Amino acid sequence: MTGRAGKLLDKSVSYGLLLVLSAVLVLPFIFMISIALASDATSTKMTFSLLPKEWNFSNFLRVYRDPRLGIWLKNSLLITGFAILGQVFSSSLVAYGFARLRAPGKNVWFMILLSTMMIPTQITLIPQFVLFSKLGWVNTFLPLIVPNFFGHPFNVFLMRQFITQVPSSLYDAARIDGLGYFGIYRRIILPLMKPILIAIGIFTFNSNWAMFLEPLIYLNDPEKMTLSLGVRILTETSGGAAPPWNTVMVTSMLLTVPMLVVFFIGQRYIFEINFSSGSASIK
Amino acid sequence: MGRRLSGSRRKEALAFYLCIAPWLFGFLVFTLGPMAFSLYFSFTDWNMFQKPNFVGFKNYVRLFTRDRIFPKALWNTFFYAGISVPLSLFLATLLSGLLNRKLRGLRIFRTIFYLPALIPAAAMSMVFIWMLAPDTGLINRFLGVFGVDGPAWLLDRNAVKPALIIMSLWGVGNNILLLLAGMQGIPQQLYEAARLDGAGRRQAFLHITIPMISPILFFNLVMGMIGGLQTFTQVYIMTDGGPNNASMMMVPYLFHHAFDSYRMGYASSIAWVLFLIILGMTLLVFRSSSLWVFYESEVRR
Repeated sequence: MTGRAGKLLDKSVSYGLLLVLSAVLVLPFIFMISIALASDATSTKMTFSLLPKEWNFSNFLRVYRDPRLGIWLKNSLLITGFAILGQVFSSSLVAYGFARLRAPGKNVWFMILLSTMMIPTQITLIPQFVLFSKLGWVNTFLPLIVPNFFGHPFNVFLMRQFITQVPSSLYDAARIDGLGYFGIYRRIILPLMKPILIAIGIFTFNSNWAMFLEPLIYLNDPEKMTLSLGVRILTETSGGAAPPWNTVMVTSMLLTVPMLVVFFIGQRYIFEINFSSGSASIK
Repeated sequence: MGRRLSGSRRKEALAFYLCIAPWLFGFLVFTLGPMAFSLYFSFTDWNMFQKPNFVGFKNYVRLFTRDRIFPKALWNTFFYAGISVPLSLFLATLLSGLLNRKLRGLRIFRTIFYLPALIPAAAMSMVFIWMLAPDTGLINRFLGVFGVDGPAWLLDRNAVKPALIIMSLWGVGNNILLLLAGMQGIPQQLYEAARLDGAGRRQAFLHITIPMISPILFFNLVMGMIGGLQTFTQVYIMTDGGPNNASMMMVPYLFHHAFDSYRMGYASSIAWVLFLIILGMTLLVFRSSSLWVFYESEVRR
């Protein structure tokens, strides 16, 4: 009898703990929403409460009314969209080469590819900045987009693992049907790898949408900025005026919500990649 | 016959190099070339406007002898990463253990725990400016309930690093995702056998769960440390390294030299110190892994 009671107690303690921790972990969301809903007067006085006391939903209309927010959103979408496009195509092509084609020197190149995964971006930051400013690309989106068309070692590595698991009988059949190396890539690899390509798209979204350091270096003109930079620029006010904190939080939400949406839509693909150790969706 | 084979082989090799051409080009132009230049810059006094002068190891010597801020930035970075990463892993292990107990709603809790990790650093910084506000901030109001007079966090040079560490704990979900998956993959027979041998739940957790997930712990530790050493956004937005450089870290310091004052030579030497530290740590952790990481395949062999 005591065993059962003990188990019940044990379970309620576990649940209690999980609930409390959940509450603590969602605090930033609640606080963000609460400040976003505050009136301009509260925003100037900076007397914010955790739970919303005011409900100025009209603050969210600033996404339309304040032209900067729309521009930043558009810029972020544009940069991230092209980055995804570039990564999906370049990484898959490179991965196909490493997974399926035989050539002298291949293993050496693959080792080099793997070792570049450990190189921190800061080491190449300054020369890249010099290169892009020589090309006249500063204050354009190009430095943030173009490098994505040359593959990312992590994506290449991930895709290669999946392509090597495609049964070789499929390739043999394709060869007999007269497909060349690039025909196989286009007609067999790309359609077969759709779930992994989507996952790579999601990873690329995650790392580019929230990017801060690179846009900060390359984009100076407020019209050219991304949402991440916009959030910060809003807090820089002149003459000691209080920043429009409610607008800052509306912009922060604009920056956060797409991350959540992509996570909820995409988690199926991500979980497949992470946890089914490669056998996913290849029949 | 032999010639035809070598011809098709050559064709395949050509196709291989065409396929990897994008990466190869990117590697040369965006990685290898810049690394070489960055190494060269680090031995010069280049400021982007005048011709670079070769100055030998002067930048490096200055970093460790005459620069008052760099050693501070180095220490702050290690302090931050060295506490926040293991602490977050520790919490993630406990939480994953809790979630792994076949409770209802596991998926919902797992999702909730992961959500804050999705908030972009810029947005998170804005929220935490208010979470950590001296008088009205949530954290100090919470402490006030227990009669504790909380510090001014971001404005207090003794509390600013702990403040950033506390903030980093909201990213605990990043670790939970992989750890929980690892725990769910542990064969149930192991636990059954342990129970028959009279092991309690805590013993099972310490002697089965932890060893079985140690490769994941190890991986997360390495990746977390590498990421932690490169901390930039929070510092840049929330404190700009202050007060009195108490939260200055290596990447913000590099950024300050490179892009505020265009001391590209000096900034490059900071980048190389950072790179060598990350490289050294990665190698060290990989070397030491056999001491404490348990790989199932090694036993099978």
